[in-house]
Amino acid sequence: MIVRRLEVEERALASPLGRTSPVLKLGIALLWLVALAFSYDIRPAAVVAAAALLAGLTLGRLAPGRLVAGVAPLWAIALGIGLTNMLFAAANLDPANTVVAVIGPLRLTSAGILAGVGVAARVVAVVAVGVVFGQTTDSTSLVDSLVQQAGMPERFAYGALAAYQAIPRLVDQMTTLRQARRIRGFRWGWHPSMVVGLLVLAIRHGDRLALAMDARGFGSGPRSRYREVRWSGLDAMMAAGALVVAALAVLAGR
Amino acid sequence: MGPSGSGKSTLALALAGLVPREIPGEFAGALEVDGLDPVTADGPAVAARVGLVFQDPESQLVMERVEDDVAFGLESRGWSAEDMRARIPETLDEVGLAGFERRRTTRLSGGQQQRLALAGALAPRPGIVVLDEPTANLDPDGARAFAERLATVRAARAATIVLVEHRVDVAWPLADLVLALGADGRPIDVGTPAEVLARSRAAIEASGTWLPGGGAAGAARSTFTSAGPTVPPILTARGLRFAYDGPAVVDGIDLDLRPGERVALVGPNGSGKSTLARLLAGLLRPNAGSVRLGGADPSRLKAHDLARLAGFVFQDPEAQFVATTVRDEALAGLNGEDPRTASRVEALMARLGLPLDAFGDRSPYSLSGGEERRLSLAPALARAPRLLVLDEPTFGQDRRGCEALEAILAEHVATGTAVLAATHDERFIASFASRVIRLENGRIAADEVVA
Repeated sequence: MIVRRLEVEERALASPLGRTSPVLKLGIALLWLVALAFSYDIRPAAVVAAAALLAGLTLGRLAPGRLVAGVAPLWAIALGIGLTNMLFAAANLDPANTVVAVIGPLRLTSAGILAGVGVAARVVAVVAVGVVFGQTTDSTSLVDSLVQQAGMPERFAYGALAAYQAIPRLVDQMTTLRQARRIRGFRWGWHPSMVVGLLVLAIRHGDRLALAMDARGFGSGPRSRYREVRWSGLDAMMAAGALVVAALAVLAGR
Repeated sequence: MGPSGSGKSTLALALAGLVPREIPGEFAGALEVDGLDPVTADGPAVAARVGLVFQDPESQLVMERVEDDVAFGLESRGWSAEDMRARIPETLDEVGLAGFERRRTTRLSGGQQQRLALAGALAPRPGIVVLDEPTANLDPDGARAFAERLATVRAARAATIVLVEHRVDVAWPLADLVLALGADGRPIDVGTPAEVLARSRAAIEASGTWLPGGGAAGAARSTFTSAGPTVPPILTARGLRFAYDGPAVVDGIDLDLRPGERVALVGPNGSGKSTLARLLAGLLRPNAGSVRLGGADPSRLKAHDLARLAGFVFQDPEAQFVATTVRDEALAGLNGEDPRTASRVEALMARLGLPLDAFGDRSPYSLSGGEERRLSLAPALARAPRLLVLDEPTFGQDRRGCEALEAILAEHVATGTAVLAATHDERFIASFASRVIRLENGRIAADEVVA
């Protein structure tokens, strides 16, 4: 296998955050993102990002290195979006704003910098919430929770699970397809025919998996449950804590 | 058993009630599985009686962890949680995976994954287990371990086993009954292995299927001529190291390949064979060390220069098709306008059993597994590269396909092409290789001249 997804650590799954209902964690993530929508200020985003990272480190027992190195590309994207917004902020064009620096044709104003930092902070907050969720949730408990606690139809939940697990395979196949083109004298890089190839491969893989699931009786009648998922006191505590953070974030933006 | 394209997989799927229900098609005749007609009976009733194991572990394991994957089929059939808790360890023990309950399926070897798939099929106590080439992707040790487990299941007489298998050494010792299909999809013979061998040996051999103990290994060997060791190497690798992310997959590789050499690259699943093969052909750039192919670093060559020097056939045929018809696929990257090239490719395709007048306009993806594999060989064989690298070239091939491949390879070798094949196929190694390099944990564990 050429690409390995960053595996969720066992100790993170055994942590309080790992034992919290995945559906509740999804709900919390949604609530916090809504809380960010109330203001352009940097402070709500900082509150949410700090809360997510702190929760991940303490309640989720995540190694600090995993939060940074494990999703380096995401952090790079956050930084890139922030910088772009800083350089190209509308505020830079307003002659009333103080100019901090001039880079070629671009004016960089203090208001522009603030706008960029604000956007970057939001992206960081979103990435932090997503990473902590992803690194404390295994796919089996997510599916169990979606079906049993959120009432999602089984076909949909298991389908999403299968798609998620197929991603590394698809990345492998894309690499092979590019190498197959190179060894036959085609220029390295993208070509529209690759999209067709990948689509065919993805559909075929889906077909095979669906066949394998059907052969094991999937969808043939009411399913029983190997793992019964129930709401717990831990879930209640997490929900209460999350509400406090959301309230703080909204207040910080006033 | 039967040659590639004889309908073995289709028959297997019909027994499991998936043809024609899930895969529509024309269906005639009568079928009774454990007292049920899978064509008319409802899905759950058939699924409850039949367990199915496919070739590719990755497209049949559903859940993240071993015990959940075994539970998946039991949940579908409505087993109670207590019954599942009792049955899962029992089944895992049957397939030799006791204690693996919490293991992630991605952390298992290919052989373990296939035994897990077998556990998933056995867990609901089906009357019949249908296995469609379950050992095709496995190294010899993995295949042997799988066959041993299958023998245990057979000895327990708990279920009827229907095994579709190219590897006769795995299948024949297990069989009570053999159904031999011909290339046209019609049965050649049915009976005990001894009866079928006595009655129909010639007809089965003519259909292109392997028979136990037989094989044209000796004949094929003589078609290869070896080059002298004094010829300077066409490829030199020194201190090769490569890691995707994490520990090195290939490390400390020193290797010379000379024109006309026939090298089998062997080793267990995950020992780095595919990665090393890609490094040598310039498809990956090493983290350390160097590869020189015909005096240049192949990973830094322009694509059209590399294509003249090296050919590569990937393990998964479907993942390397670059065109939408068989004709375009065979000609892609070649000058099809040139009548000499066109006729050469046409002749090659005929030898591979894919004549362009019959197959040229079909989609590569519409071919059977064995046909796909032979098509994937064509682009590399149509050129005259100095180095030919093949990743599991005989995978899913019947006897006729293997013989055609060996004959074409022999011609390339005779003109001085060095051929390196990463392979598990012991029969192919015996007839093809002049040198066997064994990889273990990314390092060369043995490098021997064998012929």
